[in-house]
Amino acid sequence: MSKGVLIDLTKCVGCGGCTVACKLYNDNKWDEKTPTMGDKAKLTDKNWTVVHRKEVKNKEGQPVWRFVKEQCFHCKEPACASACFAKAFQKTKEGPVIYYPHLCVGCRYCMVACPFNIAKFQWDKAFPLVTKCTMCSNKVTKGEAPACVSVCPAGVFKYGDREELLKEAKSIIAKDSKYVKHIFGEEEVGGTEWIYISDIPFEQLGFKTNVTKRPLPSYTAAYMHATPYVGIAWGIVLTGLYHYTKRRNQISKENNKNIKA
Amino acid sequence: MQNQVAKEKEKQITRRGFLKMMGGIGLTGITATIAGCSTDPAGGKGWMPQQYQVASSFPVQVKGRIPIDPTNPSITRDDRKCVLCGQCVEVCQRVQTVYGYYELPIKNDITCVNCGQCTLWCPTAAITERDDIDKVVRALEDKNMHVVVQTAPATRVALGEEFGMAPGTFVEGKQVAALKKLGFDAVLDTNFSADLTILEEATELIKRIKGEVNAPLPQFTSCAPGWVKFCEYFYPDLLPHLSSCKSPQQMLGAMIKTYYAREKDIKPEKIFSVSIMPCTGKKFEAQRPEMNSAGKLAGKPQLRDVDAVLTTRELARLLKSKGIDLNKLPDEKYDSLLGESTGAGLIFGATGGVMEAAIRSAYFLITKQEPPEALLNLTPIRGLKGCKEASFDIPGVGAVKVAVVHGLNNARPILEAVRKKEAPWHFIEFMCCPGGCIGGGGQPRTSLPPSDQVRQARINSIYNADAHIYAKRKSYENKEVLALYQKFLENPNSHLAHELLHTHYTDRSKQLTVKKDA
Repeated sequence: MSKGVLIDLTKCVGCGGCTVACKLYNDNKWDEKTPTMGDKAKLTDKNWTVVHRKEVKNKEGQPVWRFVKEQCFHCKEPACASACFAKAFQKTKEGPVIYYPHLCVGCRYCMVACPFNIAKFQWDKAFPLVTKCTMCSNKVTKGEAPACVSVCPAGVFKYGDREELLKEAKSIIAKDSKYVKHIFGEEEVGGTEWIYISDIPFEQLGFKTNVTKRPLPSYTAAYMHATPYVGIAWGIVLTGLYHYTKRRNQISKENNKNIKA
Repeated sequence: MQNQVAKEKEKQITRRGFLKMMGGIGLTGITATIAGCSTDPAGGKGWMPQQYQVASSFPVQVKGRIPIDPTNPSITRDDRKCVLCGQCVEVCQRVQTVYGYYELPIKNDITCVNCGQCTLWCPTAAITERDDIDKVVRALEDKNMHVVVQTAPATRVALGEEFGMAPGTFVEGKQVAALKKLGFDAVLDTNFSADLTILEEATELIKRIKGEVNAPLPQFTSCAPGWVKFCEYFYPDLLPHLSSCKSPQQMLGAMIKTYYAREKDIKPEKIFSVSIMPCTGKKFEAQRPEMNSAGKLAGKPQLRDVDAVLTTRELARLLKSKGIDLNKLPDEKYDSLLGESTGAGLIFGATGGVMEAAIRSAYFLITKQEPPEALLNLTPIRGLKGCKEASFDIPGVGAVKVAVVHGLNNARPILEAVRKKEAPWHFIEFMCCPGGCIGGGGQPRTSLPPSDQVRQARINSIYNADAHIYAKRKSYENKEVLALYQKFLENPNSHLAHELLHTHYTDRSKQLTVKKDA
């Protein structure tokens, strides 16, 4: 079973400790221009996770603040991995979608493929790579929680088997009426390892809710599977054409010679 | 023989072969550079504090950190220095009982009483006071502004520590000299308005005890902005107990832009009022919307009573940036009009001090007689014990019972008792920070986390000055305060005094959901 994280947005106090943990563990530099916290927070090649502050209204119509942590959702069937022909993005059996820099050719198909616009490019480097949250895969394989998860003082996160977490999330939102009856990531793009519950509708918190429930790779899998056959067949056709035209030219040359003579 | 073989081999390398080899090396090099010579997946190249390297998602030793609103007027945090050690959570939750004492989800506010104790506990100085030095420097450079400064009682026993002196070194005169050197047009003493506070607050207390005003007993002190905000958040039902007196900082602020401005013939809008405080909460207090009484009186409500607040640490930084060494300065005296002080005003800086000062004056105000020697050395309410009590007889009133608490964790049980109407006291002094203002969130980080040795050294210094250095020890002996009443305010709790020296409080309970079983 794959590992996942359940995020309870009602518990976040907005300390941003998770963004600091991410920087510490992954040795990502601080970006002076783009903060990891607050109203101007933005994912970049250095910011693998950020916490947005959202001013919304609760069910009683009172203005409230909610903090929304953003990072890679780690799709069960990741479009970035299926778009990558170099296998630089790979889905591991533990859950994380990881990135191998030595395999990357820099085409950025992954960035186009990602439904949540997570992967970022190192625009300011001479030999740029693509970056994104790796769910601290080397901690996860050791049975440890990702860095961000392990530092939360408010108990926002639960780390564990994704299917167990899903059951728990369902029982939480069934018992407590303050939650909206929706688990973000349960079905979105075929399901993600990171799932969210909230007391404010997800679209008001900046979540992309109009995504398909079908895994994105399934849209292309059927005909992309034919690629090798089409490639070989096309090769055969072209080879045939080559030989045909070559022979035709030869014959016409010989004919011309005969005429001159 | 061997040489010959080697030479033959060398000859075998042709020009084409050599170029191929070099090209190959180059290509491998470039590939290796791009790939970083590694076939590992990305991430995990940094470090994590040891306590987070564990399997569970939230082990007991993991503390994380407290939330800080980016618009917080008192404190700020540099994320680049944070190591997630959790010391801020430790002090906010266990010493000040703020973090963790409200239910989640939060409402539209990050609960903070602005006490700044976290700035004293943070081992990397990631959390610091919000720096207002630039504001003050700009005002000092402005030739059209009359820049006045006031210094709190507790800064004079701590500022020296920033310049290598022993904890508690008394640097009152040197501090005045340093401020004059910085170019302030007048250096005034918050001790003066502490004396003023005492006359107002003792008068209010007497009125409450005699039943002349419709306000409940016990009366709570209202000098500590952190404590006031704490009460507004967690005990809004007890706000009527709070003395309506402003804190000494705000009283002096209001006096500077009214009485001082009139006497010196300066327009209030041409005065820039700075205060040097041991406290980060004072930055918040000065920004409270209602702290503009001098402006309101002059018909210019946008004027603030206090324009900028610097902590002791900021003053030290400012002095160092101007190359002023406190050690080398002579002692100088405060400027007159709002500069005289008594020992009663000075001891405001230590836990128990406000109470002791109030008792000295209340005794005189009720009996019209000098208080006995025992009331000048009220040892039961001195020192670092969390909650202290005393009882004494005032002829004509009977036994007066008082309590003194410092550190907000010590305040909770007292407040619960008051809530249950089980409180036997008439007057309770609350100070937000452990040790009182001498241990305030803006004081030098002499020991880290703050220690009782340093707190005690500063307290000793304050009581020593009260007993041996200051000529007067009772607020009602302050000639300049008496002159202020004669020329301007008429008498304590007069209508004008209420307008300028008293305030009201805000129920903040709607900004959070108070935890019931905390």
